[in-house]
Amino acid sequence: MHQSGPGAAPPLVAERLAKTFDDGDVEVPVIADLSFTLNAGEIVSIVGPSGCGKTTLLNVVCGLTPASSGSVLWHGAAPQGMPGRVGYMLQKDMLLPWRTALSNVTLGMEIKGKVGMEERDKARVLLDRLGLHGFTDRYPATFSGGMRQRVALARTLVNDPEVLLFDEPFAALDFQTKLLLEADTVRLVREEGRSLLCITHDIEEAVSISDRVIVLTKRPTRAKAVYEIDLGDQHADMMEARQSPRFNDHVRAIWRDLEVSGT
Amino acid sequence: MVAGCQLALLAIFLGGWEYITSLDRQTAFLFGSPSAIFGFLKTMATDGSLARDTYVTALETLLGFLLGNLIGTLVGLSLWYSAFVSRVVQPFVVALGSIPIIALAPMVIIWFGTGLASKVAMSTLSVVVVALVTSYKGAMSVDPDQINLFRTLGARKSQIFRKLVVPSSLNDIFAGLKLTVGFALIGAIIGEFMSSSEGLGHAIFKAGSLYVIPKVFAALTATIALALVLTYLVGWLERLLKPWQPER
Ligand SMILES: Nc1ncnc2c1ncn2[C@@H]1O[C@H](COP(=O)(O)OP(=O)(O)OP(=O)(O)O)[C@@H](O)[C@H]1O
Ligand SMILES: [Mg+2]
Repeated sequence: MHQSGPGAAPPLVAERLAKTFDDGDVEVPVIADLSFTLNAGEIVSIVGPSGCGKTTLLNVVCGLTPASSGSVLWHGAAPQGMPGRVGYMLQKDMLLPWRTALSNVTLGMEIKGKVGMEERDKARVLLDRLGLHGFTDRYPATFSGGMRQRVALARTLVNDPEVLLFDEPFAALDFQTKLLLEADTVRLVREEGRSLLCITHDIEEAVSISDRVIVLTKRPTRAKAVYEIDLGDQHADMMEARQSPRFNDHVRAIWRDLEVSGT
Repeated sequence: MVAGCQLALLAIFLGGWEYITSLDRQTAFLFGSPSAIFGFLKTMATDGSLARDTYVTALETLLGFLLGNLIGTLVGLSLWYSAFVSRVVQPFVVALGSIPIIALAPMVIIWFGTGLASKVAMSTLSVVVVALVTSYKGAMSVDPDQINLFRTLGARKSQIFRKLVVPSSLNDIFAGLKLTVGFALIGAIIGEFMSSSEGLGHAIFKAGSLYVIPKVFAALTATIALALVLTYLVGWLERLLKPWQPER
């Protein structure tokens, strides 16, 4: 995976980001002033009140929406156009109904170049690992929500992204499926040394998977608090992480932050 | 079950029609009767005029249908490329769409003559705006998040168009195709009404002006059959082109 020696620039740095939407004659300030760093191999979660600008933040970070001021640095440089090797996942799976599971997964490779045997095999292996063996050549119309999000996850991971940007991709799933998918994601992210910036409404999820949790204020948003999460070496197991005594302390502290800022 | 009810309804309708028109000669003259219509269909079939007229009208309709949908869909989809251009042309499209096609007929005959071309032109004109509007609507209703996803995967605008916008619009394009089968047929028939020497519209017009009502109905029956066949073909094409749609 990505070789990041000591002193190398972190994959993603946001510096004093601000974003104001210009809606005709009204200006809507959404992000006031936000800075953070995502280091190689790190998982950072962002929680904040509904409508505070989390999705906007993600869109600014990956270049879909231009920032009003401040900068986004990928490996220390501001990219021309879209940053490379970024995987972006939303709550909606956005599978294309006219493509089979497999060709949904190979979409990114198809856009970048040609899809041959090798690319298809890679996609197949990933779908197998995510428990979709036997469904690769089916259309998504008949898939369950969990299966669809697995295909979306495979579509994201197959391009070897260094940095994953998640906007609550598992929020709509039932609790058990959600836990399983989170565990899979964390395993696949940590195994391969990727980094993950994850937006969520679920504080327990944030604490259980993250190295750091950033709590945002209401709109226009800024960082209200930052928690370094250290649960011992138990991040690998989602349920065990939740048993750790410090887990509850973190959850309670973040709850209090969000209550004060008023959801 | 559904087909049974439909057949029964048709039988009651035709039976009632036959019965009422058998009561006196004047109603029979004014409204024809199923048996008389069938008689005319039989003579038209044996003297070859039925096949000839149906073929002529089918050809005009099909050409107009294809041409109108091709032009309309290409323009409608490509308007997706430029929000500016589409905003500029919008009022013109609305204006064109509100012109009654029949008002164009005299000019079309002056420009295209009295042969096949003028009928195809009429048919094309009655299809093209609808095809344009439906395909444009399809292209514009693509989920913006989906476009964002393509952008994060590094897609160029032309790739977004080919791999996302066009396939996403298929539903609307096919809705337009189904709708315009009828419009194409109407266009062709109006063209034949204005001036023609053959075709189902010609047969209807001629029989009508000679007060041979059952023959009007006979030609009308052939027209309806033609519309049904064309609609069926579009449905078949849709199933062929959209295999991902689950059976319902
Ligand atoms: N294009 C835009 N123009 C104007 N205002 C916008 C635009 N996009 C978002 N906003 C506003 O910015 C605010 C933040 O939106 P955003 O979707 O980023 O919130 P969020 O934190 O992701 O919310 P949620 O928790 O519900 O997902 C909202 O008040 C929204 O109305
Ligand atoms: Mg959001």
